Amino acid sequence: MNWLHRHRGLVPYLLLAPGLAWLAVFFLVPLGFLSYQSLQSGTFDFGFVFDWAFYNYWDAITRYEDHLIRSFVYAGLATAIALVVSYPLAYWIAFRGGRWKNLFLLMIIAPFFVTYLIRTLAWQNILADQGMVVGILRDLHILDSDGRLLATSTAVVAGITYNFLPFMALPLYVSLEAIDHRLIEAAQDLYASKAKAFLRVTLPLSLPGIFAGTLLTFIPAAGDFINAQLLGTPKQHMIGNVIQSKFLELIDYPEAAALSLLLMAFILVGVLAYSRALGSERLTG
Amino acid sequence: MTAAIRRHALTVYAMLAFAYLLLPIAVVIAFSFNDPKGRFNYVWQGFTLDNWRNWNAVPGLSDSIVLSLEVAAISSVVATALGTLIALALVRHRFYGRGTTNFLIFLPMSTPEIVLGASLLALFLNLQFATGFTTILIAHIMFNISYVVVTVKARLVGFDRHLEEAAMDLGANEFTTFRKVTLPLIAPAILAGLFLAFALSVDDFVITYFNAGAETTFPLFVWGAARVGAPPQVNVIGTAIFVLALAAMAANIALQSRRARQAKGLT
Amino acid sequence: MTDLTRKELLRRAAAGGTILSLPGLLAACGSDDEEAGGTTATGPKELANTLRFSNWPLYIDVDEKTKKRPSLEEFTQKTGVNVRYFEDINDNATYFGKIQRPLSQGQSIDRDIVVLTDNSRFPGLMINREWAEPLDKSAIPNIKNLQDSLKSPGFDPDRTYSLPWQSGMTGIASNLGLTKTPVTSVDRLLEDPKLKGKVTLLTEMADTMSVVMLANGDDPAKVDDASFDRGLRRIQRAVDSGQVRQFTGNDYTGPLSRGDLMAALAWSGDVVQLNADNPKLVWRIADSGGDIWTDNMLIPKGGDAYTASTYMNFVYDPKIAAQIAAYVNYVSPVKGARAEAAKIDPALADNPLIFPDDETLSKTVIFDSEALNNQDYLEKWQSLIGA
Repeated sequence: MNWLHRHRGLVPYLLLAPGLAWLAVFFLVPLGFLSYQSLQSGTFDFGFVFDWAFYNYWDAITRYEDHLIRSFVYAGLATAIALVVSYPLAYWIAFRGGRWKNLFLLMIIAPFFVTYLIRTLAWQNILADQGMVVGILRDLHILDSDGRLLATSTAVVAGITYNFLPFMALPLYVSLEAIDHRLIEAAQDLYASKAKAFLRVTLPLSLPGIFAGTLLTFIPAAGDFINAQLLGTPKQHMIGNVIQSKFLELIDYPEAAALSLLLMAFILVGVLAYSRALGSERLTG
Repeated sequence: MTAAIRRHALTVYAMLAFAYLLLPIAVVIAFSFNDPKGRFNYVWQGFTLDNWRNWNAVPGLSDSIVLSLEVAAISSVVATALGTLIALALVRHRFYGRGTTNFLIFLPMSTPEIVLGASLLALFLNLQFATGFTTILIAHIMFNISYVVVTVKARLVGFDRHLEEAAMDLGANEFTTFRKVTLPLIAPAILAGLFLAFALSVDDFVITYFNAGAETTFPLFVWGAARVGAPPQVNVIGTAIFVLALAAMAANIALQSRRARQAKGLT
Repeated sequence: MTDLTRKELLRRAAAGGTILSLPGLLAACGSDDEEAGGTTATGPKELANTLRFSNWPLYIDVDEKTKKRPSLEEFTQKTGVNVRYFEDINDNATYFGKIQRPLSQGQSIDRDIVVLTDNSRFPGLMINREWAEPLDKSAIPNIKNLQDSLKSPGFDPDRTYSLPWQSGMTGIASNLGLTKTPVTSVDRLLEDPKLKGKVTLLTEMADTMSVVMLANGDDPAKVDDASFDRGLRRIQRAVDSGQVRQFTGNDYTGPLSRGDLMAALAWSGDVVQLNADNPKLVWRIADSGGDIWTDNMLIPKGGDAYTASTYMNFVYDPKIAAQIAAYVNYVSPVKGARAEAAKIDPALADNPLIFPDDETLSKTVIFDSEALNNQDYLEKWQSLIGA
C-alpha cells in the first residue's frame, strides 16, 4: 500500500498496462503491417513491393468517393434511428425494470445468439414482397402497389439499424441507470412538469451514454458490408463491400489496406469533431 | 386519465421495441418447427417436432455452439476486466498520453473486420503461433476491449466521488473502498459491458474465420451450411440457447429476490 | 556382401508383407518404376496414418442417425487411413485469403485435400503459383471413370493437379406459379418487362458472363475484350433499367421460394432442394446454354500426394460416387455413377439435375480460366456488381 502511495503517478499506467499491452501486440502490430501493405504496389501474381505508394490513398478517395459518402450517410441514419428507438427502451429498463433489469438486458442481446446471417435472412423473410409487412404498407399507400422493401436502401438502413441496436441500447442504459431518482423528483417539484424535468435533468445526465452509444453504433456500422450485400442492390453497396472485394476477389492487398486506413481516418476525424461539439471533457472524463 | 396514458405509453413503447428486437428471433423459433423436404428452410411446409427430437442430428453443429459459448465466456470476462481497468484509468487519472489512449480505443472498432482478421493472421504466422482455440480467444479479447471501455466509461464519467471520499474518511483504504463502494455502484455498467462483449464474441464471423485454424464456431458453421441449406437444427440450437439463457437469468433473479426477502425476514 | 543381401531381404520382405493390402498392391505397381529410375531406393509408397480433408459443408454423405460419414468410414476400413474431415471451406475467396499467406511462405496448411471451385480464379491461381502438389496418377486407376467433358479444363489441361469432386450447372430457375412457362431464354430474363425487378443474377463472373455471352453468340471458353465488353454492357443495361434486382450468391433461394422473384440465374443443386418442397420451382438450362462448374480436389503443398490420390481413387469408384451423389444431390463427375445410383434410388437416377442427359451437357461450357485471372476483367465485373 505504501509503495502505491509513493508511486501514485504510476497507478494509471498500471491500470492501463494489461489491456494496452494486449492491444499493442494484437492490434497495433497488425495495424502497422496493414499500413506497410497500403504503401505497396504490384499485383498478386507478380508480387507486391514496398515503394511508398501514397497514390493508393488518392486512388481510393477518387474512385470510391460515392461508396464512402454512402457508408457515412447510411451509418448516420442507422445511428439516429437506433437512438430514437433505443432511448425509451433503455429508459424503461433503467427506471421501470426493477429487479428484472438484467433479464431485459439479456433480451436485448439475445438476437446475437442466432448469428448475423440468420438474423438478416429472417428479415429477408419478414420484409418479403409477398409478406405481411409489405402488404400492410401497400394497403396504407406508403408503398406503391408493386413497391417492395427488399433490395432498397430502406432495407439496408433498416438492417444496419437492427443489427447495431444493442450497441446503442446498452450504453444508454448504463448512464440512465446511474441517475439518482431523487434528482428527477426534485426537478419535477421545481419544474412542475415531467417533460421539463426530463429535458433539463435526465437528458443531460444521460449524455455520456448517448455519446458512447452513438460511437459504438456509428463506427462499426460505417464499415458494414453484409446488409448491403443481402438486402441491397449494387447501388446501395458501401465501402465495406469494396474492401471485401478488393481483399478477397481482386486480391489487391495494398488497395484494400489503403481503403481501410482511409475509412479509419475519416471515422476518427468524425469522432474528434463530434466529441468537440458535445464538449469532450464532460464526456470522456 | 392522461397521466395514466402517459405512464403506460412508455411501457407500451418498450414492449413494442422488444417485439421489434425479437421479431427475427420469433421467425427463427417458428421455423425450427418447420418440416421441409428439401434442405432449405425458407417457406413453411408443416409443423413437426422432429427437429427438436433429433436436435443433435447434424454433425459438428453442437460442437460448434459449445466452442462458441466457451470462447465467448472466457473472452468476455477477460476483455471486461482489462477494459474496466482501462476505463478507470482514463476517467479518473490525468496522465501523459491520455488523449492518445482515448483515441487508440476507437481504432479497433473502426477497422474493417476483414483486414483486421487477415493482418492478425499474418502476425500469428510470423510468430509461428498455431491457429486454433487460443488464437480465436486472443482475437476476441482484442476486439472486445474497446467496446467494454466505451460502455463502462459512460458510467464512470460523472461518477459521484463523494461516496468514495466519505468511505475513506471513515477509515477504509483504497482497495476496500473500491471493493465495497465503487465496484457495486459501477457493477451494472460492468455487467452491460460483459453482455456486449459476450454477444460480440458469440456472433463474430470474419475475424474468427481467419484465425480459427481447424476449429469451427457456430457462426462459421452456419455460414457454411447456408450455402447448401442450413438445416432446421440450426434454428433449434439457436432457440435453445436463447431460451436457456433467459431461463437461467430469470432463475438467478428469482433466487436473489428470495434470498433478499429471507434476509429481511431474519432482521 | 551381407549388407547387400540384408537390404535386399528387407526390401523383399516389405514388398511381400504389404502385397496383400491395397496400398501394397499399388506400391508394388509403383516400385518397379522407382527401381528403374535408379535413384535412392525409397521402397514401396506408404499411406499416411491420417488423411486431412477440407471440404464444403454438407458436401459428403452423412448417416443422419449415427452422424458418421459412411463413405469415409468405408475408406478407413479398406485402407486403414483415418480421415480428419473439416467442413471449413464456405467460400472460395475467403478460404483462399486464409491459406494464401502460409502457402506463399512455403508453409504447409496441414491439409492433404482441399476443394475449390473453378468458376472462381482460385484453383488456377493455386496451380500457377505452384502451391499444388501433382496427383499421383499411378494411385488413381479409376481416373478412367472421369466424365469426358471434364477431362481437360483450361486451368489444368492434363488433370495433373486436380480432380473433380462434384459439379453443378448454371441455368435459369423459374417460379412457374408466376411465370406460367419456364424461362429459358436469356432475352426474356434480361429484357422482358413482365419480369422487371423480379430477376436476380449471380455474383460469380464465370456463371453470369457464361450465360450472357452464350446468348450474345460469343464463346465463354475463349474470352476476348470485345466479347467481354458486349456481355458486360448487356448486363449493365439490365441493371440500370431495374430489370435485375440484385446480384446474389445462393441467397436467391429464399426470395425465389417466397415468390419475390419470378426467375433467377441459379445452380442446379439448389433447385433440386427447392423443388422438393415446391414443384413449381423448376430449373432449365438456358436455350443458348450455360456453364458447368466443378468443385475440384487439389493437394496443397505439403500434403501427402500418395494418400490423397488413394482417396481420390476410392471416390471414383462408381458405387462410392453414387453413394455420395445420393446425399449431396449435385452432378457426379464419375461415369457409371448413374447406373449405381439407380440401384439405391431410381428416382434419383432419373433426376436430370443430378444426372443430366447428354443434350443438356452439350449446352454447357467451362468458362475461360485465363479470363478468370484477368485483373482488368475482374475489376470491371466488381464495379458492375457494386464494389
